[in-house]
Amino acid sequence: MLAGWAMVTALSGQQSLESEYRMTGCAVVAAFESQRAVLQSSSAVIFDGREPAGYGVVISAQGHLLAKASEYLKLKAPTITVDRTNLSDVTVVAVDPVWDVVLLKVAAVDWLPVVYAATSAVPQGTWVVANGATTRTTRRLLVGIISANPREIPAEGGTALGVLLKAKSTALEIDDVCEPSGAKQAGLQKGDVIVAIAGQAVSKLAELTEALKGRKAGSVVALRYRRGQHEQTVDVRLVARGEIFTDPMNGNDQMSGDFSNRRSGFPRVIQHDILGTSKLVGGPLLDLEGRCLGMNIARANRAESFAIPVEELQSLAARMLDGAPKLP
Amino acid sequence: MMVLLTLVLGSARAANERLEVNDAAAPVTRQDLESIQGAVTRGLVRARAATVCLEVGEGSGSGVIVSADGLILTAAHVTGGVGKLLAVVLEDGTRLCGKSLGLVAATDAAMIRIVEPGTYPFVEIDRSRTTRLGDWVFALGHAGGFDKDRGSVVRLGRLVRIANSTFQSDCILIGGDSGGPLFDLTGRLVAIHSRVGEQLQVNMHVPMSEFMTNWDGMMRAEFIGVGAFATKEVVGNGFLGLSSVARPTGGLRVTKVGHPSPAFAAGVRVGDVLLQLNGVPLVTREQLQRLLSERSASDTITLELERDGKPHILTFNLGDR
Repeated sequence: MLAGWAMVTALSGQQSLESEYRMTGCAVVAAFESQRAVLQSSSAVIFDGREPAGYGVVISAQGHLLAKASEYLKLKAPTITVDRTNLSDVTVVAVDPVWDVVLLKVAAVDWLPVVYAATSAVPQGTWVVANGATTRTTRRLLVGIISANPREIPAEGGTALGVLLKAKSTALEIDDVCEPSGAKQAGLQKGDVIVAIAGQAVSKLAELTEALKGRKAGSVVALRYRRGQHEQTVDVRLVARGEIFTDPMNGNDQMSGDFSNRRSGFPRVIQHDILGTSKLVGGPLLDLEGRCLGMNIARANRAESFAIPVEELQSLAARMLDGAPKLP
Repeated sequence: MMVLLTLVLGSARAANERLEVNDAAAPVTRQDLESIQGAVTRGLVRARAATVCLEVGEGSGSGVIVSADGLILTAAHVTGGVGKLLAVVLEDGTRLCGKSLGLVAATDAAMIRIVEPGTYPFVEIDRSRTTRLGDWVFALGHAGGFDKDRGSVVRLGRLVRIANSTFQSDCILIGGDSGGPLFDLTGRLVAIHSRVGEQLQVNMHVPMSEFMTNWDGMMRAEFIGVGAFATKEVVGNGFLGLSSVARPTGGLRVTKVGHPSPAFAAGVRVGDVLLQLNGVPLVTREQLQRLLSERSASDTITLELERDGKPHILTFNLGDR
């Protein structure tokens, strides 16, 4: 108490607040020690070599965690740290492209999974806590508040197959296939001609655009194509256009510092004002009770961060664990 | 019933008192945190209803209504001048017409009046300069432009620097927030968002004292001072970008439209007959030139014209060459 009083006196004599008393400062963050303890035991740090490359949500005592798929799948040598223990041999169990979430598994036996909050429908202004910079042994945290209405974030610029079409062609002939993309996965090649989407014949760009309109990033569409004399139908997973085609950055993007590569095409998010970096996603978003309100999935810009709401996160986790091969 | 109302009023007044948590160097207990959270949640109801998006040309900023008859405070670089027409968008998507009053060019303060008469939701201004360094504050604004599903975005922070005409907070702002409100924990307006630094934590606001000092001049629609946030217009540099000849039966027939030009962008085409400019019937080319020479590059004009025998009315800003 005395220390606190001394500080007040010191502050009123100055015109600038010392950094420890600011939103990200250690004195403010210290008030959230019980939430930090939850991050210590129930959030995972993903290291790529020696560098922290993202976070994860611990969802089972047996070593299951969720992380941001598009960031995780880029890593060369990922290892997982929960509390003070670092584990390698990470298995990718399942990927959900709609939510951009990967289910990972390591050999752990005594993890403390997050406790889900009853609802993500908390008022704006509610305190939230997320992973901040970390060391090998100690989790740190960042604080903020719920800052806007929950809502869908439609895919930026719509969804895309991940192909470039030949400009001067009377048919929808593929000129190039983006990598990685659903088109590449489905085996489409340069020279293939798209003839139908979801059973609907298409022959012009406007028809193709119309057929893809309103579909969600990560969803699957049946695509019929002609290669030489043969026609074939394949399932192609759609991606958010912004994820594969780099559109010119607008003023706010330039102002933002870095942002998540995949920051749109989510069926529903809750928004908060924690100023992380694009690497600091994948971990849990906690309330003051230390319960999991959601999973941080994107840093959209310097003022807006998105999390998967707990309702959707919980059913996603259950679905992914269910589909996972049973381990001994 | 009266007694009950009095009680409610009494407690509302009590809630307006300075919060204890502001006088602690940092929150310590769960109660401290809940006190901040509760204040923001309560203050947001009125604050959100009074926060507006301002659409000016291609850009957008924010503002806040401070009187029931529709006076808005914003930043000078959002209005960009005096007497300008702009769109005011309320939280529920209602679009209204606003006209800029005065501004302070050196410190980035400005006022707007909603043109449509009405009773609007508004917030109370902190007139007593009760705000101190380290106080908890929350920012609202239509970050990145109006988004009805999202609503305006709230951010929490503290006042981290106080100078004469500037507050700095760690509420993270972005483009589109300019002109938006910064509130204290009692929900009173303490400052207007102005600009950000290169570092993410540097967010600057214009304190209410700056508005108070220049209140009367701004209400009289004066362009106050010289500074980086607005440039005073030069009378006579208004540019329309068309050629015309007098029509014997009245009006001016357009013979050429520059491309690009303000006239072209507004939709004026060759063959249109210009009938009136700001309500003044047009008779000769010289008269049109004289009317334009009394105006500035960013002035808004209303042009009444006839196309294929049908009347059209265009409202747009003049440009400069």
